[in-house]
Parts: sequence; structure tokens; C-alpha cells
Amino acid sequence: MKSIKKTVLALIVPFGIIVAWYLAVKYGHTPEGILPSMEKVWKAFKTNIENGQLTNDVLVSLSRVVKGYFVAAILGIVAGSVIGMSKTAKDLFLPIITVIRQIPIIAWIPLIILWCGIGEESKVVIIVLAAFFPILVNTENGIEKTPEGMLEVARLYKLNPWKTFIKVYLPHALPHMLVGLRLGLGVAWMAVVASELIAASSGIGYRMSDARSLMMADVVIVCMLVVGIIGVVMDKLIGVIFGMFTPWEKLKKA
Amino acid sequence: MGETIKGQQNDQKKKTNMIKVDQECFMKGNDYIINVEHLHKQFLVDKKPMDVLSDINLSIKRGEFITIVGHSGCGKSTLLKIMCGLVDYEDGIVERNGHAVVGPGPKCGMVFQDHRLLPWLKIKDNVGFGLSALPKKEREESVRKHLEMVGLKGFENSYPAQLSGGMSQRAAIARGLANNPTILLLDEPFGALDALTRIQMQKEILRIQKEQSTTMVMVTHDIDEAIVLGNRIVVMSARPGKIMDIIKVSEAGRERNSEEFGRYKKKIYDYLFSEENNEMTYKDVSSDIDEIQKKKKNAS
Repeated sequence: MKSIKKTVLALIVPFGIIVAWYLAVKYGHTPEGILPSMEKVWKAFKTNIENGQLTNDVLVSLSRVVKGYFVAAILGIVAGSVIGMSKTAKDLFLPIITVIRQIPIIAWIPLIILWCGIGEESKVVIIVLAAFFPILVNTENGIEKTPEGMLEVARLYKLNPWKTFIKVYLPHALPHMLVGLRLGLGVAWMAVVASELIAASSGIGYRMSDARSLMMADVVIVCMLVVGIIGVVMDKLIGVIFGMFTPWEKLKKA
Repeated sequence: MGETIKGQQNDQKKKTNMIKVDQECFMKGNDYIINVEHLHKQFLVDKKPMDVLSDINLSIKRGEFITIVGHSGCGKSTLLKIMCGLVDYEDGIVERNGHAVVGPGPKCGMVFQDHRLLPWLKIKDNVGFGLSALPKKEREESVRKHLEMVGLKGFENSYPAQLSGGMSQRAAIARGLANNPTILLLDEPFGALDALTRIQMQKEILRIQKEQSTTMVMVTHDIDEAIVLGNRIVVMSARPGKIMDIIKVSEAGRERNSEEFGRYKKKIYDYLFSEENNEMTYKDVSSDIDEIQKKKKNAS
């Protein structure tokens, strides 16, 4: 019963948008290049799937995200763990990290293009930069908040530093880490689209910018919808996978 | 020349002293499993040293059950952690099995007030937490045996979040006993349990202690508990923590409804709540407040 109510409530606003869109096209006399009809968007979606362009664009963007995200996850988890366990490392790095984090990822793009060009590397570097900080900060937080009592148990049983990390710090930080990894993936996906919009010759962001210059609003909307849906799918997927790693977390909430 | 001779003489002295100490240890080794002499401990509070424990002397025999009672903040938990090797001490002698305590050891288990089970490990892995050095089969055997001992058979694959407070505390006791320690230190292990569960757990810990003949030292703030469980009761005063008395409890006195039980209870009450002591703590607090005010004045 509750879930039905939830689904109905979630659908009301999208339905309203569709109705408004329909009415705007029918009675608003907007030019096709600015606001195309739903039918036209659907047709654009079909042709772009059929000729393989859309799939290709998505794959190019996704492969960039995977590369950058992988590097960012490793760097973020290692750096976050070190800073979380060592007070010295924290005092050394955290202030500067906090400052750098405030710079929006878009603001990095000009400098990255100057340094790495507009090829593959610059996209990957931008994704690494974007995903690194949420992963680092959340990992650090999870490691640092490990209760002193649990560490005392580790000392009682004379666990060496590495085992203490594996058996106490890491499992305690895991849920926090997963939050960071989830946020990082979302940010990475946004960053790749943004960087492709600004300077690229392939990828879904490039397709949008290309379609805009040709006044093809239908293709722009198709790309936007695809970006949104892929983002949601990735987020749900990663949530399910991570849930399997932390079975004890579910019990806590119950 | 003169200096070297002096040095040699000093060395000679040290050696004879060491031999003496060794002999003492050997002699004590048979009777006393834990030996604390002239122990002092200070904590730094606002960069100023504060005495937590002052001149503690306590020798514990093999197989004895010692309970320690005192007001909160009297350093009884600190004393336990020093015996365990989790906390350093400034001055005095602390020995387990005739050797100075330098850190935690496998023959000395500890159970804390909050069960401190690791939420990400199943109960069997929590109980076997200190047994990673053992081969898998022996480890499983020890875990099975100790879970059965505390009445948690069938909960091997549960997570701590699925157990009640009493059951978690049983699991913590099983973990403390899993590597067959000769000493088990218990820091208010039943403090967070309801009254009925607590009495049941007291019975069980006594049964386990008799079965395993483990030496147990338990810190508690429950006077009844101290009398029911302890062969001897250590009564401590606060700030700095000092031993006021060590009361020997007769077997008959451990019965809750016996006359002797009442007498022990009154004696401990008198120690802990005598007016003299209350006055002392008030004085302590007022002088503390004076100092804080002075500090503030100086600062402004």
C-alpha cells in the first residue's frame, strides 16, 4: 500500500511536466528548433539509436568515466585512510585540501586544457579531480571516527597496524567510503559531460554541443535525458553492489 | 680510574638486587598471579598533572575473585587497564605471573562495560577475534566451546546488532575467555544490563569462574554485586584513588539474604558514604572552583 502511494506521488510532477510540454507545443507556437514536440524527440532518439551514434557517444563518455573514476577511487581511499589515521598527515594536508575543494570543477577545465590539451587525457584528469575529493573526504571521515573502544580491543589482542587497519578501521569506514564512492561517481559523470561540452570531438557532451550549433533541440533533449537516466542507473547499481559489502549496516536500521 | 671502580661496584649492586627481585618473584609466583605495589598514576588535565591512583598495593592469588568498588572517577577502571597493560603507569610495581606488565598479553583477557563487539563481524568471528594465530580447526573448536559456555549456541552466524544487551555481553565474555586466559579483568561488565539479567549473569560468571578456575578481577559500582561475587572486596576512595580497605568475604556472606551479607553491605556503605569523605569531596570541588576563578582573573 505504502509503496503504491509512493510511486503515485513520484509520478505526479513528471506527468505535469509532460502535460505542460504538450500544451506549450500545441498552443504556444514556439519554433521547432527551440522546443520540439515529444514525437520529434522520440523520433530523434530512434534514429540516433538506429545509426549507432548515441550508443557510441555514451560508450565513449562512459569509458572516460570508468578510467578516471578508478584512479580517483584508489587515490581517494589511500589518501583518505592515511589522513584519517595519522594526525600529522591530517594537519599537513587537510587545510590545503579544504581550500582546493572549494574550486568548482568547471573552473579547472581551462587550466587542464592548457596543460593536457583537448584529448583523452584532459577528460580523464578532470574526472579524477572531480571524483577524488568526495571519496577522500568521506574515507577520511569514516577512518577518523573509528571509536577508541574498538581500537582498544585491537590493542588488547595485539593486532599489528596493518591488521588493525584491515579488521577495525576499514570495516568501520566502509559505509562512509561507499557514500564517498557514490557521490564521486555522480560527480564524475557530471564532470565528463561538462568537459565534453567545452572541448571535445566525441562523447555525449560533444553531441549535445554539436546539436545545439545545428539548432537540433530534439537531439539536445535526447542527450540530456540519456545523461540523466544513466546517472540514476549508475547510482542505483552502485548502491546495490555496495549494500552487499556491508550486510551488518542493514541490521542497524531495522 | 676511580669512576670505573665505582661503576663496577654499582653494577655489582644492581646484579645482587636483581637476583633478590628474581627470588622474590619466584616465591610470589606461586601464590600471587597479580602483584601491585606502591602504584602511582597521574593524568594530565589541562596540562596539569592530577593524581588518579595513589599508593595502590594489591596482591591477588591464583583463582581468586576480586571485586573493586568505589565512586565513579576513583580510578578503578584505570587500575584495571594498568593491570591489563592498556595504560602506562608512572611509579610502582605491577606484575602478572611474576613479570612486570609491559603490555596486553594473551593470558590476560578483558571485558568492557559496553560489549565492544565489532558490528561487522559475526558472533563467531567476534569471539574468535584474538585467536587468529591458531589453526582454523582449533579456533572453531574454542569458539564453539565458549559460546556454549555462555549459552549462545546457535547464534554463531548472527551479527551483534541482532542480539540483546545481555546476549552481547555474554558474547563479550566468551571473547574474553576464548584464548583460555588465566586472568580475566571485567570493567563493570553488567553495568548496562537490567536488574534481572544482571543477577542471572552474576550467577553465570560465578559458575564459569569455578569451572575454569580463572582469576577474575571485576570493577563494579554495585555493592551487592561486589559482595556476591568477590572473595575479597577492594573499597576505593576518589581523587586520588586510594584503597580504603580490602574486605574478606566469607562463603556464607555471599548469600544475598544472609545476615552477614547485610553487615558487609553496611560496612561498605559506611566507607563510601561517610560524612568525612563527603566533606573531602566538597572541599576538593570548591578548591577546584577557586582555582578556575583565579585562572579566569589572570587571563582577563
